[in-house]
Amino acid sequence: MKNGTIISIDKLIKQFPVGKSKFTALNGLTLNIERGEFMGLVGPSGSGKTTLLNIIGSLDTPSMGTVTVLDQSISSLSHKQSSRLRNRHIGFIFQTYNLLPVYTVYENVEFALLLQKLSASARKKAVMDALEWVGLTDKIKSKPAMLSGGECQRVAIARSMVKRPDIVLADEPTANLDSKNSHHILQTMKKLNKELNTTFIFATHDEKVMQYLNRKVSLEDGQIVKDEVIENSKN
Amino acid sequence: MLSLKLAFKNLLGAGLRTWLNVLALSFAFVLIIFYNGMIDGWNRQAQRDTAAWETGEGQFWHPAYDKYDPFTIEDAHAPMSEDILKEVNNHTLAPVLVSQATAYPHGRAIGVTLRGIDPNQEVLELPSSKLPQSNRTDYAIIGKNMARSANLEAGDRLLLRWRDKNGTFDAREVEIAEVFRCDVPTVDNGQVYIAISTLQEMLAMENEATLLVAGEAFEMRELEGWDFKDNEFLLADLQQIIDSKKVGGSVLQGLLLIIALIAIFDTQVLSIFRRQKEIGTYIALGLTRAQVVGIFTLEGGAHSILAILLGSAYGIPLLLLLNRNGISMGYAEDMAFDIPLAEVIFPYYSLRLILITVLIVVITATIVSYLPARKISKMKPTDALKGKLQ
Repeated sequence: MKNGTIISIDKLIKQFPVGKSKFTALNGLTLNIERGEFMGLVGPSGSGKTTLLNIIGSLDTPSMGTVTVLDQSISSLSHKQSSRLRNRHIGFIFQTYNLLPVYTVYENVEFALLLQKLSASARKKAVMDALEWVGLTDKIKSKPAMLSGGECQRVAIARSMVKRPDIVLADEPTANLDSKNSHHILQTMKKLNKELNTTFIFATHDEKVMQYLNRKVSLEDGQIVKDEVIENSKN
Repeated sequence: MLSLKLAFKNLLGAGLRTWLNVLALSFAFVLIIFYNGMIDGWNRQAQRDTAAWETGEGQFWHPAYDKYDPFTIEDAHAPMSEDILKEVNNHTLAPVLVSQATAYPHGRAIGVTLRGIDPNQEVLELPSSKLPQSNRTDYAIIGKNMARSANLEAGDRLLLRWRDKNGTFDAREVEIAEVFRCDVPTVDNGQVYIAISTLQEMLAMENEATLLVAGEAFEMRELEGWDFKDNEFLLADLQQIIDSKKVGGSVLQGLLLIIALIAIFDTQVLSIFRRQKEIGTYIALGLTRAQVVGIFTLEGGAHSILAILLGSAYGIPLLLLLNRNGISMGYAEDMAFDIPLAEVIFPYYSLRLILITVLIVVITATIVSYLPARKISKMKPTDALKGKLQ
């Protein structure tokens, strides 16, 4: 792995069974991602963006090839090891927020820390810091049902960032948001990327997201068709 | 601890669905305790009454006597030694002489057991002191059930015919001095009590007895020529009948418990089906599948904790009230089952009964919660996150 490389993907193939045949979602994909990148996987539906995110996040495993995240080969991790990797080092942001409905904003954000053996005071400080980053300190007692879509996604960002992960994987994070909220959220994430040097990887086909990316990897039929560095992205 | 906290949080967050399940399970919990408490209370009352009216602290039987075999009665009698008579005079032993006879109430014949009892005895609650001592008239006391079946009442005269020890038939009229009320059928049904001295004279068995009932003050020891039967032996039949009642009742309790458990099972299946995204999110946040299975199992199992709390909230006052006031059973007119049944039964809730019931409810609720939760361990997190049917 190169110095600064946080994710290394080599000849990755991912196939899913469809009836008696197999569908190839990722077809021999090779890619390196550096620490602190704010990059996006772009492409049409079915191009393999989400599948790649899931494998990087150790929610799925490669059929062939290797994926190394933080020096750990995804294929060789046990259930426990992959859970630990996700809990300590990877944050997830989903299109549909995936907040836990019976928990308050505070508890949703705190949840990610409960598995780490932190003191209650350390947890509280981390949660309040995270909510401050996303500007939701006044909503700590609200439940997700009482929040707008933009607020829910900000809670999801706070939840993913509260443990200060090395990598945040965001799957279509703005798909359910209006333009104003999308920009607000992207600005928040960009700010956290700069301040905490967290690597953000997006799966998107939203133009608004693309404006903020420093690197854009275009996928088509499970293969990389373009990998471009963007110098003049939005801050 | 974390799983338990999450489980309770999720459970309470589910609102009405949770409380309906909890209510159903709490009914089962309270009913199991109530029914078993009722049976235990009945058991204790039956044993207490049988001991007070019939068996005392145990009995010394003539070696030939077998209460299940009426043919043994004829030979089962022996004179009482000086030592025994001393105990009788001290009211620590109550001698009983037993004989078979035929009674003719209002001209019809019925088989009865004549029991000679010391009018001065203080070992049994039998109102033997109601047997007047008279040279001219012989008296008898009978139970209410015997009086009803023979159509007799106090003051009536009853013709008795019996065979003495030489095999000679004899007959005599006795006057019913008292009709007593007793919960113990074996003391009442077909039994006629007369003074033991009268019966000894009638049977030509002077100073003889068939069995000796030991009182509380009797210093337990062996009596030569008599076999001691403790209450475990004497009450074995009663215990067997009560146990069979318990088994019968457990079918009803089991059914009620199963209905409540099916509701929890159903809720769990539905919950896992509907909350796949949540399951995927837990896994994405770093919980292992085993931990998620644990959360869902505990969530279902926690129904039982809430059911116990809810059941305690309305069950404790209710059960205590029943325990204090008892449950009226009415007078057991026909005593058909040969089980002592008091007019009022006081349920008895032992700590053992409560703990066993709590364990049954918690363990069964946890098991039925685990069965559907196992499915989570086979779920693909990526499909769960999408809410794809699995």
